[in-house]
Amino acid sequence: MKRSRLAVIAALFGLAGPVLCAGTPGRAAAQSDAGAIPDTGLVTREELRGLLEGLNEQLQGVQTDTDRLKRFKFTGYIQGRYDASEASSDSVQVSGSPYTVTTPNQSRFYIRRARFKFTYDSSPWSQAVIYFDGGQDRFIRLLEAYVTLMDPWTANHDHQFTLGQFNVPFGYELERSSSLRELPERSRAETVLFPGERDLGLKLEQQWTSEVKTSLSVLNGGGINSVDFPNTDPTRNKDITARARLVQGTVDAAASYYWGHQVTPLTGPDVSTDKTRFGVDTQGYWQLPHAGGGSLKLELYTGHDVNPDSVNTLVSAPTGANPVRLLRPGADPSHLATDVFGWYAMVVQNVGDWLQAAVRYDTYDPNTTLAHDQYRRWSFGVNAFYDAYTRFTISYDAVSTQTLGAGGTTTDPHDNLWTFQLQHKW
Amino acid sequence: MNRGRMAGILLSVLALAGPALAGKPITVKGSDTMVILGQRWAEKYMNEHSGQVIMVTGGGSGTGIAALINGTTDICQASRTMTSDEKLKLRDRYQTMGTEIKVAKDGLTIYVHPDNALKALTIAQLRDIYLGTTTNWKQVGGKDATIILYGRENSSGTYGYFKEHVLENRDFSARVQTLPGTAAVVNAVSKDPNGIGYGGAAYTKGVREVGIQPDAKSAAVLPSATTVRDGSYPLSRYLFFYLRKKPEGDTRKFVEWVLSDEGQKLASDVGYFPLN
Repeated sequence: MKRSRLAVIAALFGLAGPVLCAGTPGRAAAQSDAGAIPDTGLVTREELRGLLEGLNEQLQGVQTDTDRLKRFKFTGYIQGRYDASEASSDSVQVSGSPYTVTTPNQSRFYIRRARFKFTYDSSPWSQAVIYFDGGQDRFIRLLEAYVTLMDPWTANHDHQFTLGQFNVPFGYELERSSSLRELPERSRAETVLFPGERDLGLKLEQQWTSEVKTSLSVLNGGGINSVDFPNTDPTRNKDITARARLVQGTVDAAASYYWGHQVTPLTGPDVSTDKTRFGVDTQGYWQLPHAGGGSLKLELYTGHDVNPDSVNTLVSAPTGANPVRLLRPGADPSHLATDVFGWYAMVVQNVGDWLQAAVRYDTYDPNTTLAHDQYRRWSFGVNAFYDAYTRFTISYDAVSTQTLGAGGTTTDPHDNLWTFQLQHKW
Repeated sequence: MNRGRMAGILLSVLALAGPALAGKPITVKGSDTMVILGQRWAEKYMNEHSGQVIMVTGGGSGTGIAALINGTTDICQASRTMTSDEKLKLRDRYQTMGTEIKVAKDGLTIYVHPDNALKALTIAQLRDIYLGTTTNWKQVGGKDATIILYGRENSSGTYGYFKEHVLENRDFSARVQTLPGTAAVVNAVSKDPNGIGYGGAAYTKGVREVGIQPDAKSAAVLPSATTVRDGSYPLSRYLFFYLRKKPEGDTRKFVEWVLSDEGQKLASDVGYFPLN
């Protein structure tokens, strides 16, 4: 019985032999030379032990490599999109011979986001992230690059320190990945107040309890969509953000504050104005029988910031003949910045596991003291999840933009938008 | 946009969602500790309910929870509770933090080789062994031999439970040899006279259980139906089903059957412990 069992084991190692031999050519030759036992098909206990130890050594090597690879994560997503704007019916024309499509063409295919992220968990206490986007502007752009240190003295690493380029910790929409959002784009207020959503700086995060989390950041203040990013810190002073979030499960709430300065460059001394934002957000969740989860999300932004319209009105535009940029006579530099206000309310309802509907109303007023300059939008969207990684989105944005025309009249341009999007996330 | 075009778009969406809306078997994925239990439940339930298909696979509690979030399983079996991060990920996709259902109890068992004379360990001794500060059996009253550590991969709920409740969330010694399942841990310990491992009570075959003392002054307790049920065994734990929402239809019938006397008796027969 023992001999037959040994024969079976020997046969198994015979199968493993080529693998072992491939890694150790010298050893393979030695085994071939020692061919005193091939006639019996049996191996001795010592030979078996040697083979086992060799196999074990190889397995240890494979295990080490596998453990190292497990620390590395490669994730990302692609959003292919087709947009059809209401304006297209007025602007797309076919003319000439042969026929050509004249610009502007508001109906188009494009890649909205093509993102890939590399995360390396070097140890339980440190992590490095590099995140790129290859969508829209046809070249690869660095979105995020940061190192996070986690404290070793608490069980769940409740204190974290991050240095690099990362999402500005302000608001619910901003910290949420675009791959998860129920509608294709964020609200108007968020996109105007935080263009690019990211900045350079440091961040301290503290998980006080499982429900309460705070974060504090110190940033350059320009943001990655700033013209001079990342060469200079446009204000020389640093901007500061603070955020506190309460997560209860069915009702979450948070408040965020941003304090800094914004510089308007002029010929001569620049003008520095306050740049502040205050935001509150809350989300409530429910479950409907036979349908699934739903939510109501509310977010409000208020603040004070440089208004491009005010700059155009109060600052002289440089020309070839007079290449200076100065405040117009009598202009009050403090008027370059205005109070802003915006908010949105969104309802999301899942219908089973594979369908989701969302409705949002959002509004943004870039100058609260001026009438007829508000942006209002109703957005409707349906997400159909094809599988665990792929979803198809159809959304319709009904936009109302008030533009002050001649004689004090207001007009609302035809700019409603259909969006068809296919997203794959891995 | 006219009504016909709108209807066309909606039909396209429904066509895409069609395969997902069609009826399908119940998929169960997750804890390796629970995989035998899940399979036995599924087999018996399918025998009694012809036409119902239930597919059970392991991979670890973490893998099962990831599958629940990805939508690739209907039920996740887990030998630990979901973390708040995992719940938030689930909520991001489904607007719900999921439904947790306790389905059985288990005693996380410490295995040694049958020839190892050691009868009991305190939680503190066990912690020191797996943190790597105690390296010889002699230091805990055993023979003079190096302790060989066997454990689970970090996707395992048993790994998570052990780390939280025994190691107080500190990191395992680098000397722990990680193995892909509890059966592999039991197999390794059964062949290694100096080995020690941990896993579900139902797997104790070819190895010996070690009694656990909450502290040096307390009596050692072995995992049994009584000690796990009354909580006197220090490493008693619940085993869970997680779902994205409250169970409905066929899934609800299966969950109700698992919680019935018949389902609970089967849990006991397999080597786990019923809820009541």
